[in-house]
Amino acid sequence: MDKQQEFVLRTIEERGVKFVRLWFTDVAGSLKSVAVAPAEIEGAFAEGIGFDGSSIEGLARNSEADMLAIPDPSTFQILPWRGTVDPAARMFCDIATPDGQPAAADPRNVLRRTLAKAASMGFSFYVHPEIEFYLLKSSSVDETGEPVPVDTAGYFDNVPGGTAHDFRRRAVTMLEQLGISVEFSHHEGGPGQNEIDLRYSDALSMADNIMTFKTVVKEVAIEQGVYATFMPKPFTAHPGSGMHTHFSLFEGDKNAFFDAAAKYHLSNTARQFMAGVLKHAPEITLVTNQFVNSYKRLWGGGEAPSYVSWGHNNRSALVRVPLHKPEKSQSTRIEYRAMDAAANPYLAYSLLLAAGLKGIEENYELPDETEQDVWALSNMERKALGIEALPQSLDHAIKKLEESELVAEVLGESVFNFVLANKRNEWADYRAQVTPYEIEQNLKTL
Amino acid sequence: MAAPASGSPRAKSLSEIAKLGFESLSAARTDLERLTELVGKHSDTCTEALAFSASPDRALGHLLRLLEVAPSESLKLVAKADSCVRLIRLLGASDGVAEGFLRQPETMEFLGRKPALPNSLNLATSNRVALRVSYRQQLARIADWDLSQEGPEAAVTAVVAALSDLADAALEAGLALARSELLNEGRISQQDSEGTELAVISMGKCGARELNYVSDVDVIYVGSGTSQNFIEVGTKIAQRLALVINESDREPGLWEVDPNLRPEGKAGALVRTVDAHVAYYEKWAKSWEFQALLKARVSAGDAALGAEYLDRICPLIWTRHGGSNIVQDARAMRKRVIENIPVQERDHNLKLGRGGLRDVEFTVQLLQLVHGVADPNLRCSGTFEAIAALSKAGLLSRQDAADLQSLYRRLRAIEHRLQLVRLRRTHLMPVEESELRRIARALHHSFSADDLQASWLQAKAQVAKLHDSVFYRPLLSATADLDPGEVLLSDQDVESRLRSLGFLDPEGANRHLKALSQGVSRRATIQRSLLPVLIRWMAEGVYPDRALLSFRRLSEQLGDAHWFLKMLRDSSGAAERLMRVLASSNFIARLLEYTPESSSWFGEESQLEPSSRDELEVEAFAILKRSQNPDKTAESLRVIRRREVLRIAIGATLGVTNLKQISRALSDVSEVYLSSMMQLALRSVDPELDVGIVAMGRLGGKEQGFGSDADVILVYRSDNEFAQRDAESAVAKLLSLVKDSILEFEIDLDLRPEGKNGPRIKSLAAYAGYYEKWAETWEFQALLRARTISGSNQLQQEFTELIDKYRYPSELSNKKLVDIRLMKARVENERLPQGADAARHLKLGKGAVSDIEWLVQFLQLRYVGQFPGLKGLGTLENLHQLTEVGKIDAADAAVLEAAWTLASRLRSAQVLAGDRSNDQLPIDRYQLEAMARILEFAPGSATELEELYLATTRKARIVFERLFAQ
Repeated sequence: MDKQQEFVLRTIEERGVKFVRLWFTDVAGSLKSVAVAPAEIEGAFAEGIGFDGSSIEGLARNSEADMLAIPDPSTFQILPWRGTVDPAARMFCDIATPDGQPAAADPRNVLRRTLAKAASMGFSFYVHPEIEFYLLKSSSVDETGEPVPVDTAGYFDNVPGGTAHDFRRRAVTMLEQLGISVEFSHHEGGPGQNEIDLRYSDALSMADNIMTFKTVVKEVAIEQGVYATFMPKPFTAHPGSGMHTHFSLFEGDKNAFFDAAAKYHLSNTARQFMAGVLKHAPEITLVTNQFVNSYKRLWGGGEAPSYVSWGHNNRSALVRVPLHKPEKSQSTRIEYRAMDAAANPYLAYSLLLAAGLKGIEENYELPDETEQDVWALSNMERKALGIEALPQSLDHAIKKLEESELVAEVLGESVFNFVLANKRNEWADYRAQVTPYEIEQNLKTL
Repeated sequence: MAAPASGSPRAKSLSEIAKLGFESLSAARTDLERLTELVGKHSDTCTEALAFSASPDRALGHLLRLLEVAPSESLKLVAKADSCVRLIRLLGASDGVAEGFLRQPETMEFLGRKPALPNSLNLATSNRVALRVSYRQQLARIADWDLSQEGPEAAVTAVVAALSDLADAALEAGLALARSELLNEGRISQQDSEGTELAVISMGKCGARELNYVSDVDVIYVGSGTSQNFIEVGTKIAQRLALVINESDREPGLWEVDPNLRPEGKAGALVRTVDAHVAYYEKWAKSWEFQALLKARVSAGDAALGAEYLDRICPLIWTRHGGSNIVQDARAMRKRVIENIPVQERDHNLKLGRGGLRDVEFTVQLLQLVHGVADPNLRCSGTFEAIAALSKAGLLSRQDAADLQSLYRRLRAIEHRLQLVRLRRTHLMPVEESELRRIARALHHSFSADDLQASWLQAKAQVAKLHDSVFYRPLLSATADLDPGEVLLSDQDVESRLRSLGFLDPEGANRHLKALSQGVSRRATIQRSLLPVLIRWMAEGVYPDRALLSFRRLSEQLGDAHWFLKMLRDSSGAAERLMRVLASSNFIARLLEYTPESSSWFGEESQLEPSSRDELEVEAFAILKRSQNPDKTAESLRVIRRREVLRIAIGATLGVTNLKQISRALSDVSEVYLSSMMQLALRSVDPELDVGIVAMGRLGGKEQGFGSDADVILVYRSDNEFAQRDAESAVAKLLSLVKDSILEFEIDLDLRPEGKNGPRIKSLAAYAGYYEKWAETWEFQALLRARTISGSNQLQQEFTELIDKYRYPSELSNKKLVDIRLMKARVENERLPQGADAARHLKLGKGAVSDIEWLVQFLQLRYVGQFPGLKGLGTLENLHQLTEVGKIDAADAAVLEAAWTLASRLRSAQVLAGDRSNDQLPIDRYQLEAMARILEFAPGSATELEELYLATTRKARIVFERLFAQ
C-alpha cells in the first residue's frame, strides 16, 4: 500500500540484501531478532510473520503461543557491520495477536498508545538521550573481581592513539549510516567510560534508535577486540553509566515548553510536566532503573541523582533545566537524570511522558527549585525542604510501582504484572547471594 | 410605499392568494401588486405559473428582483407563455439557479428555446469566470429540462448522465484553461506543455456517470509524455485544475476536485504513469481501493492514455481482491459510515442513513464483487447498468431488479430536488414543513410535505428489506421450488456468497440450507421464505456455522410443529433472538436439542422470565405425588431442571434478566431440585426420616451461576440409633439421583464437619457436639451463608438456632482473626489448580470472587455482634451493609463490587459460550471474543475485556489485602 513499503522492497532488490532481520523488544528490554529471506517481506507487510510468543520474556502469557510480527517499513536500514558482501538489513516490528489486534504486551505498542494520548492533547514528544557506557578489555574480570577498562583517562580527555577514540569514530560513522544522528561524543569520567549523545527525535524513533545504538556499540566493540557494557554500575570506585534524557513537548512546530517571558523560559506547560515527572518519579523508577545494579549507580554518589528535586544547572537534581541560548526557543527542554541505558526505552519513555502529561492534565504545582547540592544536605534539611528520595533498592522500587495506578494504566495490565513478577524474582535471587563484601566484613569477625 | 397604480386589476383577497399556494399571504399580496405594475398584461400568466411552482413565495421574490435588475431579458421571457412558465418553475425550485440568473441575466436566454439536455458541450475557456458562468448556464438547462418532465423518476437516468457529461466538460475546459494560465504565467514552457499528456479518470458517482446536481468529483490523474518533466508539468496542471474549478472568485467555484482516491491517498503522488498505477494496484492496494476502481471512467484529457489506464487497471479488480471477507469488510465500513453521521442527522440523511441511496449502491456492489469474479458481464460501473446486468445474469430476480431500480430512481429524484434548492452539496432532508413542501412540489405539483415524507419512508423501509431478499434469498435457490422469474444460483455461487458472509465451511452450510429448504412440505416452504433473513442474523454472530447446524437440528426435531413455524414466520423478533443465541451460545444450542419445544419461549419475552420458586415447587411436588416409578420421577425432575436452567440461560444471553435475577433463579431451581430428589431418595429408605438440607456457599447466598456446584451440608434428626445408617444410604441415593449426564449437577459436601474425612451426613446432636468442641473459626465463617432449604420445620428451626450461636458471635478474639487470615492464605496456595494463572482465575484468582467473599464474611463475623444488620446471606447485600455501618468506605466497596460482579458474569458467560467451564479467563482470542459478546461488548473487544478484567481485579486485590489485614 504505501510508499515506504515499496521503498523497502526496491532497496532490498537494488542492494541485493540477502536477509532481513526483524527486530522487536521484549518487556525486559532485550532486543529480539528473527531473520527472514527477502521473499518473505512482502507477506510480512501484509500479514505479519508468525512466531511463538511464549518463548519471549513477558510478551505472551504462558500458553498463548501465536503472535505476529509486523515490520514497520519506516525503520528499514541496511546493517553496516555486515559489509557489502551479502548485506543484511533490519526493520523494527509491531507485535499483534492472531486476530490482528495490537498485542497488549508489545513495548512498542505501549509507547505508541502513550504517544497517541499525547497527540490527543495536541502534543508531540521529543527526546534526546546521552548514553554512557564502559569499554572494557573483555567481559571477564581480573583477579580482584573487577572488570578491566581499556584506558585510564577521564572526562573529555583526548587519549592519543587510544582505543576509545577510534571506537567512537567508528561507532558514530556506523550510527550515521543507520540514519541515527549523533550530536556529541566524548570520553566520560570513569576509565574507559564514553558518552555518545543522539540528536533529538520523536520518542518512538528514539526508542528504536537506542535499541539500535546498543547493538552498534556492541558490534563495534567486537570488531575492535574490546567489550562494551551498558551495565549501570560496573565499578565500585568509578561513576556509573546513566542515560540522561532531555524531553520537550511540541504543539505543531512550536515548543510548548518555551515561554519568552517566564523564568528559564519555562512555560506553564513545562512546569506542570516537570511537576508530573517529579511527583511520579519514585513509582516509575523500577522501569527507568530496572536492575539490582541500577540502584548501586543511583545511590553510588558521583553525579547520580538520588533525591527528587529540580534545579537550573544543579547537577545533583533529578530534573535539570539546561541552559540554552535565549534566541533558541526550540531548545527549551528538561533533562531527566535518573534513567540508565539498561532500561527498556519504550516503557521508560512511555512512563515519563505519561507522568508529565498527568501533571499537565491535573494542573500539578511545581515545587520550588532546589539550588543547593542535595547530597550535601542533612536528612532533616531535606525533610524540611520536602525533598523525597528515589527508591534505594530494587525492592523498594518494586513496592513503589506496585501501588501505582499510573504505571498500571500506561503499561496495561499484562506488562504491569510481568514487570512486577520478573523483578520480584530478580530481587529474591539477589537477596539469596552471599557477597564478597559480607565474607570480607563478617567471616573473620563473627 | 407608493399607492397601487390606478387601473390595476382588483387586488386579490388573502384567501385567493392562499389558494394559489402562497405561504406569506400579505407579503405576497404586495408583491403580486408590484408584479402587475412591472409585467402588466402578463400578470395572469405569471400568477398561474407561480401557483404551479415549487415555492410560489420564493419564485415571486426572485422574479421581482430579476425584473428590476434585468428588465429587458426578463420581460422578453415573461411575454411568452412557455418561457414564462419555465422561468418561474426554475425560480420556484431553485434559489441557486435564481442567483445565477441575477448575476448573469444573459444566461437565461436558453429559456427562449425548447427545453433540451445539452449535448456535445464545449464550455468557455477564456477565463475562470466565463467557464463557470457557462457551466452554470448548462446546469440551469438541465434543471429546466428535468423540471419539464412528467415523471421526475423516469428522468433520473438522463439527468445523471447529462450532469456527468457536464462535469466532464468542465474538467476538459478546466484542463485547457489550467494549461494556458500556467503558460501565460511562465510556470511551464510551451515545449513542456506540448510534451505532457494528462488523462483525468473520474471515480465515484461521476465515474459511474451517475452524478447528482452538486457533488465533489473524485478523480485520478494519469500522466505520460515526451517531455522529460511530464510528471512535474502534469502535476502543476492537475493542481491548477482544482483551482480553476473551485478557487474563490467573482463567480463562485463549482465543486471540489477531489484526488484522494489515488494510490496512497493524500500522501501519494498526484500524477502517475500508467505503469506506476499498475505497480501500485498489483502490490499495495487494499480491498476497498479495488471496489473504488469499479467506477473508474475517462472523464477528460488524453483519451488514448485514459483508455490504456482502464485497460490495464480494471482487470486487476477481479484478480486481486480476496473472497472471504467481502461482506464483513463492506458491512464494517457501512457501519462506520452510519456511526459517523451525527445521531440527530441519522434519520434525515438521504444518502448515508439507513435505507438510503448508499444502501442500494452497497447491495448492488456487493453482488457485483461476489459474482463479478466469475462473470465479466457484471463488471459495469453504473448502478442502473449493474442492476440490469445482475438481472440478466440471473443473479437478481426480475422483480427485485425492478424494485431496486424504481427505489433508486425515487431516492435520486428526491436527492436532485433537494440539492436544486440551494445548489449545495447536501443530503440532509430539511425538517421544516415549508422546505419539505418545496421539495415535494418540485417533484409533483400536487405533492404535500406529508406525501413526500411518506413516500421517502416507504422507500427507506423497502430498501432495507430488499437487501436481505436480494442477497440472502437466492442462497436457497439450489433446492427451492422457484417462483417464476426467481434467481437460480449454482452451488458455486451460493458457496462464494456464504464464504463472503463469514461461514467457515460454506459447503457444509450449503448442505444444511438444502436440507432445510428441500421439498414441498409446509415446513420447507416456510423455511425457504425465512432462511434469507435468518442467515443474516446468524452471520452477525460469532459462530455462524454452528448456528446453522443447530437450527437444522431444531427444525428436524420439531418437525412440522405448527407453533414453531408460526413463531418463526410471524415474529421476526423471536426468530432474530433465536439466531443470535444459537450463534453465540453452545450451552443453549445443546440444551435446546433436548427440549426443542423450549424454542417457543423466543416468541414471548415473558416466557424468558424465570419461573417463581412457588411454581417450581408446585410442579415438582405434583410429580412426586403422581408417580410410582422412582426412575421416571427422577427423570421428570431432571427435565424440569434442564428446562428452567435453559430458560434462565436464554434470558441471560439476550439480556432480559440481570445478574441478580439470574443467580436467584438458578439457586431456586437447584433448591427445588435438591429437596424433591431428597424426598424421592427417602422413599426408598425411610420416608419418615427427618432429613434437612442446608444450602451453603453461593447456593446459601442465592448467588449461583451457570456451572456452579451446589454447596450443601446434610443433617437429620432422630432418636433411633440406626438412623445414621439410614441417613447415609439416603444420601447415597440422593447423590445418584441428582446426577444428570445432559446438564451436570454437582453436589459439593466439602463444607461438612471434618470435611472430606467426615460422614456425609450427621445428626443434629452430632452437629451440636462438633461445633461446640471441634470446629475451626473458618467453619463458622462458612456458616454465615448457611440456609436450611428442606427438612421438617422443627429441624430447620433447631439447626438454625444451633448455628446462630456460632456464626453470630458477640465479638471475635484476636486469635480467631488470625485463624481466618491464615486459612485464607492457605486456601490461596492450595486450591488454585496446578498451572493456573492467579491473575486470570475467575473464582480463586487475585481480586476475584473468592477474595471478595472471604473479605465480606470476615468482616461480617467480626462485626455482626455489633451490627445485627450484617446477618444477611448475599455477598453484595452484606457489602452494602458494611458500607452503611461504616466498616468499608464507599469507594472501596465500589471497587469490590465491580470485581465481584464482573468475575461472576464472566464465569457464567464462559459456561454459556463454551458449554464448559474451567473458571479461567481464556487465553484463546476467539473464546474471549465470544464471552465479550455475551457481556454485550462490541465485536472485536477481546483485548478490551481482558484488560478490563485484569485491571478491575488488580484494584480489588489491593483493597482486599488492605482491609483483610486491618
